[in-house]
Amino acid sequence: MTMSNAYIDDFPAEAKLVRTAFYSSFLALALGGVFGIIQTLHRTGYYRFIDSADYYTVLTAHGVFLVISFTIFFLVGVFTWAITTSLDRGVEDLRFSWGWYGLMATGITLSGVAILAGFTDATDISASVLFTFYAPLQAHPMFYLGLVLFVVGTWLAGADWFRSWWAWKQENPDSRIPLPTFMVLTTMLMWYIATLGVAAAILLFLLPWSLGLVDSVNPLLTRTLFWFFGHPVVYFWLMPAYMMWYVLLPKVSGGKLFSDPLARVVFVLFLILSVPTGIHHQYLDPGIAEGFKFIAMTNTMFLLLPSLLTAFTVVASMEHGARQRGGEGYFGWLTALPWRDPVFTGMALAGLMFAAAGFSGMINAGMNINYLVHNTFWVVGHFHLTVGTAVALTFMAVTYWFLPQITGRALWSRSVALGQVVLWFVGMTFMSNAMHRGGLLGVPRRTAEPQYDGFEFEAAVGSMGELQAQIALGGILLTLSLVLFFANVFGTALNGRSDELPANEYAGTLSGPEDAPLVLDNLKLWTAIAVVLVIFAYTFPLLSIVDRGGLFGPDINPLPVSLETVHLLAFVLESHVTGTLESIAWLGVNR
Amino acid sequence: MNVHTYEKVWLIGAMVLIVGFIVTITYGSVGLGIAMVDDSEETIEPSELDEDERFADPRVEQVGENEYEAYVVAQTFIFQPDPIEVPAGSEVTFYVTSPDVIHSFSIVGTNVNTMVIPGEVAAMTVEFDEPGEYGVVCNEYCGSGHHTMEGELHVVPDEEFDMTELSVEADDEVETGDEATIEVEVENRMLEALETTVALEIGDETLEEDVTIDGGEAETTTFTIDSADLGEGDHDWTVTVDDYEDSGTLTVADELEEDDDE
Ligand code: HEM
Ligand SMILES: [Cu+2]
Ligand SMILES: [Cu+2]
Repeated sequence: MTMSNAYIDDFPAEAKLVRTAFYSSFLALALGGVFGIIQTLHRTGYYRFIDSADYYTVLTAHGVFLVISFTIFFLVGVFTWAITTSLDRGVEDLRFSWGWYGLMATGITLSGVAILAGFTDATDISASVLFTFYAPLQAHPMFYLGLVLFVVGTWLAGADWFRSWWAWKQENPDSRIPLPTFMVLTTMLMWYIATLGVAAAILLFLLPWSLGLVDSVNPLLTRTLFWFFGHPVVYFWLMPAYMMWYVLLPKVSGGKLFSDPLARVVFVLFLILSVPTGIHHQYLDPGIAEGFKFIAMTNTMFLLLPSLLTAFTVVASMEHGARQRGGEGYFGWLTALPWRDPVFTGMALAGLMFAAAGFSGMINAGMNINYLVHNTFWVVGHFHLTVGTAVALTFMAVTYWFLPQITGRALWSRSVALGQVVLWFVGMTFMSNAMHRGGLLGVPRRTAEPQYDGFEFEAAVGSMGELQAQIALGGILLTLSLVLFFANVFGTALNGRSDELPANEYAGTLSGPEDAPLVLDNLKLWTAIAVVLVIFAYTFPLLSIVDRGGLFGPDINPLPVSLETVHLLAFVLESHVTGTLESIAWLGVNR
Repeated sequence: MNVHTYEKVWLIGAMVLIVGFIVTITYGSVGLGIAMVDDSEETIEPSELDEDERFADPRVEQVGENEYEAYVVAQTFIFQPDPIEVPAGSEVTFYVTSPDVIHSFSIVGTNVNTMVIPGEVAAMTVEFDEPGEYGVVCNEYCGSGHHTMEGELHVVPDEEFDMTELSVEADDEVETGDEATIEVEVENRMLEALETTVALEIGDETLEEDVTIDGGEAETTTFTIDSADLGEGDHDWTVTVDDYEDSGTLTVADELEEDDDE
């Protein structure tokens, strides 16, 4: 019998862990996709079968399942693969690894149940607070507790990977950190710093408040702590995709990574610049001085640098691959790329969309132009290109490479896979483009019924109806694409064990680690710089916010979204009734 | 470190691009004097808006020749005042706050857009050159009725704009032979004096009085009507001041009913 060198052959126990993490991720993707199409059809008015008040429960579920569980479960799978493969050693203690997985799974289940309970009146549990959970909107404590457990799970996962690296270092004292491991470690360092914000927001304020232990919170403080985490989390989603573009894409293109040192520089830049930028989500917040917003903007602009460098490396590596495959000419080499390979094509299309996202991102980042687009549908268009495509499509594409590695079974269908990634690209082109345009007309995001009594949105080119149609069409194509994706996941799982699998290998480099200055591997140094920048960017804003509004904020009533419908309906009725009574009274006086 | 020439060129190009962005935006906001929403306003107690001088009565105030201030309250799920009315050719500073959760105040199709956070007051100054009607939306999720939260902003032609308020106190019933009084209070909330005419129509009679009301003042005009001239019965009346109108009915009776309260 021939034995292949797939990941599952070398690391059967770890393959099971990675597989479980991936399947958890896919479950979240499936749920998120269902909610995605429901809200697309509802918003655009094509098909409304839920109550508009429940739209926000759907949207919370879509956001949390996709950007918390889908992305991060996938990340822990990829990172476990990267550590074990590049250090060529299994995890140190399998029970510990399953421990952090268990914690993450328990956490997200608690939060998920709290959200989904919002659909029924059988319990007063609910958490329709959207994934940003801005106070004074209040979720059930279970929602916050679940998030804490999930994040603690990721902290332990990071500890697991650091542990592997330390163990490896004992045995290889003079070796450079292998590139994939370097990427994992820098990303996790960034994550430890970033999650301090959300941990503080939840543990010090929101959880005690939802349990009734403290009476109120300072909404601007918890919001600022959220964005302390909320910006870097986008890099947490993006880094595994970047890793795939650096270590897998050159290989499937048929070549090598252009430069190992530059890849390290990119990850170091993300480590030091990701966190001190979060205030760029708060350009429009009263209570934060213009100077602090300016610092955040400057850091944000510099954060373009690693992405621009990545664009260069990715294209250069693809070109190298194409030339190895016989490609020639100025642009002619493009035709020599393996466009029939879904892994390649998916990643290439994801990268292309990311470039488009870069443009809309630059608009968002400008603190003055931001006024035009902040919280409009434009923003939703933007992040469906970033996390919804650059990340999600890369993850789906590399799944076609990973599935055989972790299941030991051949991919069910390469052509279905190819159709799937192309369909995603086409669907997202329709949906995202129309969302961007809608945003420019002032159409708000996070709105069940973006049609109003007093005015209409006026399009200079096209019409609102045409935009809605494109969004609905895009959403349907995306949903079909997801169906094809799951067909392949199931089909592959049902295949028999194959022993002709490709070996578990990632790309070599043209310019290797020996060209990278040693200081790049000095993680302590970069962490220290990152911490200093965070202190610099956040100490004064946070002190000022606490000084203005108090640590626990003004006297303000929580708005428990658990009792929301009843509560708010009563309020609306009341205000309408008092309004009517007042006008009657007023008329009376004048008679 | 061994960096490929193309890579160096790209790196330099990227840095130039980034620095270019920062410079343009800095110029675009600081250089042109465009103010951002910031921390210039004092904080406010969200549960005590009804005792606040600005927000207890959400309204537009004139503060200079062409300068106005609008005190706006955004709350689940309405904006007050609604509609907001300002004249064209004016400069308006909006002050917006919330008594409950986070909302936004966004004038559709413009870059007038701010978050509204309980405890904080967002301030932004906008120039309105041309008349027009705009929608106002809340674009931050604020609860299950968020999608119904809308308002309107009317920028009216300067010559049609005023801040006149009319209120009328009139007798309902008088006994034949007695005098009926109709008191008309006209308030001028603009800074300039208002010259106008208060007109009362009752029966086939029209009574008029010219008034001049200083800025920020109110004047009361009292019309006295001899009920004998009107005769027994119900008489409709209308008070008109510029575009404002109020009306009612005066009953003249031979004998008022006994148990009528005084
Ligand atoms: C079938 C595919 C998808 C469809 C049809 C879809 C559709 C939508 C729509 C229409 C909205 C806007 C809702 C609103 O603002 O009222 C939305 C929001 C959002 N989507 Fe998607 N989406 C899809 C996939 C994804 C993916 C793959 C991700 C990320 C991995 C994602 C992340 C988000 C996030 C974070 C929001 C914002 C939630 C919020 O505002 O709280 N979506 N989606
Ligand atoms: Cu951000
Ligand atoms: Cu709202």
